[in-house]
Amino acid sequence: MSIKRFFITGSIFSILFILQEAVINQVTLPAGGFSIFLILTLIWAVLSPPVVAASVGFGAGILLDLSPSTSGPIGHWTLILVLLGYAISFLSFGNENMRSNPLSLVFMVTVAQLIALIAYLISGFLLGITATSFAQTITTLIGSSIWTLVITPLFLPAAVWLHDLAFESRMRI
Amino acid sequence: MRNGGENRGRLLLVILIVSSLFLITLDLRGVKVIDSFRGGAHTALSPFQRAGSVIVTPIKNFSSDVTHLGSTRNQIEDLRQQNQKLRERLILRKNQDGEIAQLKSILDLAGTARFKIVGAKVISQGSSLAFTRTITIDAGRGNGIEKNMTVISGNGLVGVVKEVFSNSAIVMLATDPEFKVGVRIAGTQQIGILTGLGSSAANLQLLDNQTTIKVGDVLLARGSANNKPFVPGVPVGRVTAVSNAAGAVTQSATVRYYANFGSLGVVSVVVDAPKADPRDALVPAKPTPAPTVTVFVTPTPSPSPSN
Repeated sequence: MSIKRFFITGSIFSILFILQEAVINQVTLPAGGFSIFLILTLIWAVLSPPVVAASVGFGAGILLDLSPSTSGPIGHWTLILVLLGYAISFLSFGNENMRSNPLSLVFMVTVAQLIALIAYLISGFLLGITATSFAQTITTLIGSSIWTLVITPLFLPAAVWLHDLAFESRMRI
Repeated sequence: MRNGGENRGRLLLVILIVSSLFLITLDLRGVKVIDSFRGGAHTALSPFQRAGSVIVTPIKNFSSDVTHLGSTRNQIEDLRQQNQKLRERLILRKNQDGEIAQLKSILDLAGTARFKIVGAKVISQGSSLAFTRTITIDAGRGNGIEKNMTVISGNGLVGVVKEVFSNSAIVMLATDPEFKVGVRIAGTQQIGILTGLGSSAANLQLLDNQTTIKVGDVLLARGSANNKPFVPGVPVGRVTAVSNAAGAVTQSATVRYYANFGSLGVVSVVVDAPKADPRDALVPAKPTPAPTVTVFVTPTPSPSPSN
């Protein structure tokens, strides 16, 4: 990844992170709401090669770990997003049927987001982070998945456009 | 070539995973550098969060209002009713405070004179259209009240019981034109007759034309046989004007009553009084004027411009 791509990608993720923290997190949405930042990270991972996806996951994870709303230690989200970014990119990169089909993309992002949350919960449990009640956890997992399923198709064109802007490529979805 | 690229990719992945684990370890061990990173991120984000709050709050409020339209209306109605109840309680409380203050001053007066009194609330003011000045109180025969008993407030004489019923009584106020009371001037002990004029002022006629009267003299009730209708020593009023008409047989004066007849809430009926006359013991203290603060200012000469 060239320095120019690095800066463009970093700027896009920083702006989305601020938007998430300053605006979206302040709107109390039912069933946990959604994370536009996490959705962008996962879309980016689907559209990029595994090494780039893991690197982007690392940067996004660092930002999520620095978020005031995160309770885990620094490196927690980083580890999950590095592994998840690499994994979903490894599964989808080179598979044009999956990458060019918006439904597959939305499905993959939604499932990846659910896996990310479950991985965060399990690893958090192992690290000794106090979780909420079981019912509340299940509600949040289901609710955030539904939110992601709704938001991802709306946000997908903008995310693809931003990815094309950073990588000077032309993705057709 | 391809293998080399894959190996570099795997190496990078391993480095990233190890870095993540390293960060987790450092944070869990409480390394201060990590904490300062987080603190710096919080500091950098807080202005954006404040700005976001300014933007989001009206939208949140609007959506909350729309979502809870029915409940908000009910809440407003509940708050209105609550507000009305609180206002009523406040008015009642103010009224009670006023009554307590009046009752306290009555008790002070009655205590000094050792009067035995029965407290009563004024439940009705007589209509001025009836051309009499009366009030109705909520104590009557059942409370030991009889006709022609003296009625006082904390400031002094109010009137005399005119009619008594089982649970109420009618009091003729001292302002009634038919009201007459024998009075004496505190200090000089000169006597006269005070007559109501229908207002807060009354007319005093001295019985002895050799004596003098002056503005500011205090009038006390002279008392009647068996303390009916008037107990002795009750403050009545203060002389506000003296009329010195040439050739008049007796001296007369205008007197202002001590009692404030416009705000009578609680009064007391004197049901028994000691045989000894309290004399001038009940003369109200003269109001002390508020001290005037005088400030002397000495002007400082302004410095003259130097040559």
